[in-house]
Amino acid sequence: MNVKVESSGDYTTIIVEGRLDTTNAGEFEKQMMAVLQDGCTRIILDCTGLSYISSSGLRILLVVQKKMIAIKGQFSLCCLHPGIKEIFDISGFSTIFSIFPDKEAALNG
Amino acid sequence: MDKEAVRDVLFVTNHIDELIRVAAFMEELGEKWGLSVSLVMSLNLAVEEALTNIIAYGYDDESSHTIEIRLEKSGNELFINVIDDGHEYDPTLKADPDITQSAETRKVGGLGIFLIKKIMDTVEYQRTGNKNYLNLTKNIES
Repeated sequence: MNVKVESSGDYTTIIVEGRLDTTNAGEFEKQMMAVLQDGCTRIILDCTGLSYISSSGLRILLVVQKKMIAIKGQFSLCCLHPGIKEIFDISGFSTIFSIFPDKEAALNG
Repeated sequence: MDKEAVRDVLFVTNHIDELIRVAAFMEELGEKWGLSVSLVMSLNLAVEEALTNIIAYGYDDESSHTIEIRLEKSGNELFINVIDDGHEYDPTLKADPDITQSAETRKVGGLGIFLIKKIMDTVEYQRTGNKNYLNLTKNIES
């Protein structure tokens, strides 16, 4: 897994690449929490390069979403591969996240 | 239709880092058996969720334990057996999470076994001797 954080103006893009599983979910959580602690109120998670996610990764996304809702922030996901989107669908996560086909749509959403 | 069965087995220890080896093994197997990338991802996910549970809750001693993962493809049936010597635990009895809840009310966690049930067609548990057997099957397009 590889995580890149890009801040531009009023939003922050987090680019996650590779596999997000039980072995690295803790590391991912740390990086997500660091972005939240910086006071970002608008976060886009770019999943273009995300090839795999397990329940450990989904768990952290839900934690982030709960925190963002609490501060009335906006947490959007974009560019999910069909296989990843399917995992979101069967978990009931597709309805609790704002998911966009591309970053442009996420910015306008 | 080719009915000949192919089998493979992987032994791992009860350490989370073993999941890296599992992922590589599943990918290799997918190539050998001609499985699609999305199917390999789903199967890897089912195995990871099963192992994560066993490793996190199956043992309370400090010793190293071996967990066996058997895979078999016969025609368009795929079988996975995960065998461990941890505490007796029947994951099929675990209640499903309420996936209709909103983000605010949705409970964190409890998704692992649910994902296994959704990915696989059948999920059965058996306790024999001091071992847990989690037997999974999936119908695949051949």
